[in-house]
Amino acid sequence: MTPTLARPNASSPHEPELEPLEHAYEPLGFVGSLGAAGIDLIVGARELYSVFVRTLHYVVRGRREKGAVIRQMYEIGNRSFLFLSITMGFIGMILVYQAGLQAKRIVPDFTLLGATFLELLVRDFAASLGALMLATRVGAGIAAEIGSMVVTEQIDALRMCAADPIDFLIKPRFLASIVMTLVLVVCAGAISFVAGGLTANIAFDVPLRTFFNHELVDFGDMAIGLTKCLAYGAAIPIVSGYCGLSTFGGSEGVGWATTRAVVNTSLAIIILNFFISGAGFLVFPG
Amino acid sequence: MIQFKNIVKSFGPKPVLNDVSFDVPTGSVFFIIGASGVGKSVLIKHLVGLLYRDSGEIWLDDEDISKFDESRMGAIRKKCAMVFQHSTLFDSMTCAENVALPLRKHKHLSLREALAEARERLKVVRMQEFADRYPPEMGDGMRKRVAIARALTVDPKYVLFDEPTTSLDPVSARRVDALIRELSDKLGVTSIVVSHDLTSLFAIADRIVMLYRGKVRLQGSRADFKSTEDGVVQQFIHGRATGPFEL
Amino acid sequence: MAAEAVGAWFLEIAETTGAMTVLLAKVLARLVPPRVDARELVKNLYKMGVRSLPIVAVTALFTGAIMVIQAATIVKRYGAEGLLGWGAGFGTLREIAPLLTALMISGRVGANNTAELGTMVVTEQLDALRVLAIDPISFLVAPRFIAIVSTLFMMTLFADALALLGAAYTGDALLGVSPTTFYNGLTSGLLNFGDVATGLVKSVVFGLVIALTSCHFGLATKGGAPGVGRAVNATVMASAAGIFVLDYLTSFALGD
Repeated sequence: MTPTLARPNASSPHEPELEPLEHAYEPLGFVGSLGAAGIDLIVGARELYSVFVRTLHYVVRGRREKGAVIRQMYEIGNRSFLFLSITMGFIGMILVYQAGLQAKRIVPDFTLLGATFLELLVRDFAASLGALMLATRVGAGIAAEIGSMVVTEQIDALRMCAADPIDFLIKPRFLASIVMTLVLVVCAGAISFVAGGLTANIAFDVPLRTFFNHELVDFGDMAIGLTKCLAYGAAIPIVSGYCGLSTFGGSEGVGWATTRAVVNTSLAIIILNFFISGAGFLVFPG
Repeated sequence: MIQFKNIVKSFGPKPVLNDVSFDVPTGSVFFIIGASGVGKSVLIKHLVGLLYRDSGEIWLDDEDISKFDESRMGAIRKKCAMVFQHSTLFDSMTCAENVALPLRKHKHLSLREALAEARERLKVVRMQEFADRYPPEMGDGMRKRVAIARALTVDPKYVLFDEPTTSLDPVSARRVDALIRELSDKLGVTSIVVSHDLTSLFAIADRIVMLYRGKVRLQGSRADFKSTEDGVVQQFIHGRATGPFEL
Repeated sequence: MAAEAVGAWFLEIAETTGAMTVLLAKVLARLVPPRVDARELVKNLYKMGVRSLPIVAVTALFTGAIMVIQAATIVKRYGAEGLLGWGAGFGTLREIAPLLTALMISGRVGANNTAELGTMVVTEQLDALRVLAIDPISFLVAPRFIAIVSTLFMMTLFADALALLGAAYTGDALLGVSPTTFYNGLTSGLLNFGDVATGLVKSVVFGLVIALTSCHFGLATKGGAPGVGRAVNATVMASAAGIFVLDYLTSFALGD
């Protein structure tokens, strides 16, 4: 599946408005294209892994540039706050409304609505939906920025100065993203919970006191939520940075890189979510 | 007959054209010359409704088209075709499809008929062998010829060329010149050529107008330009680095 | 300072919304009588629809699985295995499948569409169309518009089915709830056609949001290659925000 994860190498000039990579596989037939997609997936995964390892390497031993991480924290964190607050606020309202409708069908009992919502929010929705939003906002931004640097040959200029673009560009975003994803998810989760509480109060007459109930949240939920934040925070800059670095083909390239970054980062989050949720359920079955 | 009357155009605070007037006689190869950024391309884009003037009038065959809206411009655009500076073929279509598109839209041909007709029209510009190639695979000169074929599909009375020979190699450039001359001589098409290619200018121009700092500096025939006493014009047409010419 | 920024932000949103409304009106005007290029429509349906199948399939399968994992804790707590199908199905069909499909299609199709239109704008291909007296709205925008809305609708149907499949088999693997029990829980009467329809109505609304934003930001692209990147960025953000706001409004409007 997903040839989109693959590195775009053969740009076919035929239909540049299609993704050239997928187009290049057309004559292979169904099985052939599956195989080609599989190979590209493996190649893509390996390169992604290499970017990840090199980033970790530079986190430990790279040179420290003053202010770079702080600047990225501002870029990733502060500038996404409004966007994330609004979308997560709406998510809170929607989820509580839907859950209320769902509960109404069997038992019209809303006493545990807030507690269950909070549990789900902590364990999954705050981190996962927040990260999906961050993937669009931050992932697209990182890919567009690095992609423009690739097509204007600034990355080559960096290499000429013996600076690894991973150390110089991805590392600060990596560190900033891990910290700010956590901070943003906590804030956005809180906003989402409050918005949900108000919705429950207005739509189903649940008293706020009953809704704001944290007794179902246990250590397991916190651990799973935290793991997700860290994993997503790490995945967003790595995947989108990789998409940015593999930009090709001049002016249109930046657009395609940005598109790929959004899709691949979102997919990465959904897949990570599956594995962390599954593992979490097995470790903390309560 | 095309007439520009007192055209004024500025982009924000920056004036580009300041009271430009001249006539383009029918059937001629008409050159608009001037330094880069003087507003030559801006001026001809007014003719096809890609830009609108601040004041002044543009008369095309006894109609003032300067106030035409997008829907009335349709008829003008069929009469007055344009070849863009970078050819601007549709990247997602083959050469034949590029030429077939206006045929399909305006002559109501089926796709098959339009493609057959497109191949015929590519023959005229000697591009029939490349009918199934995509524009990004081809050189600038080849793309330019396809763009000319595409512009001619609507059987226009006037064709606007925006720097047709800039960025072409000398051989391709001279071929494009020959094509423009042929259009005028054989089909009676009026060509308006925006250019600063002096070789084309002295090879094929019937009449020339030179824009300088937002105004018409000189208009006339090739002979008029060669014999003028005006230092600015002299410096430009001889391509000298020093002189009274200011940018 | 902050107030100024908020004010400017509101003005910008108002301006964008206004421009999108105008664009919508222009597109609708081309639909009656239909003046839409059929070839472009088919081309875009293929490119947007068929080629999005893999990522929609992966998203849906994983989403169904995740929904069951989330419901699992609650199901175990109450020992209500028979309700698993209903519990996971309700949220999936009404909310999560349309929402996540829309987000993925926004990322893939919407962003791509903006990049494509944006590239055409900055390379003057749109002007070239106009100069050939071909209306860019009926030739380029309207086919994409229709293709995006119908793609999202069909993808949501597809995602609904796959998400339930993913959910059923995860329930089997994780909780030992057999797929038969799962489907019984789905069809026992607690879920009805209205729930599926709610999700599908939402998908049409989301499709309109994605089509409008992506076409608008694509056509409004300025400033060369970096401009295309900025336009794509603006599209994905505006689509996401628009999807959530309208999701909320449609949820309330459709009610139970």
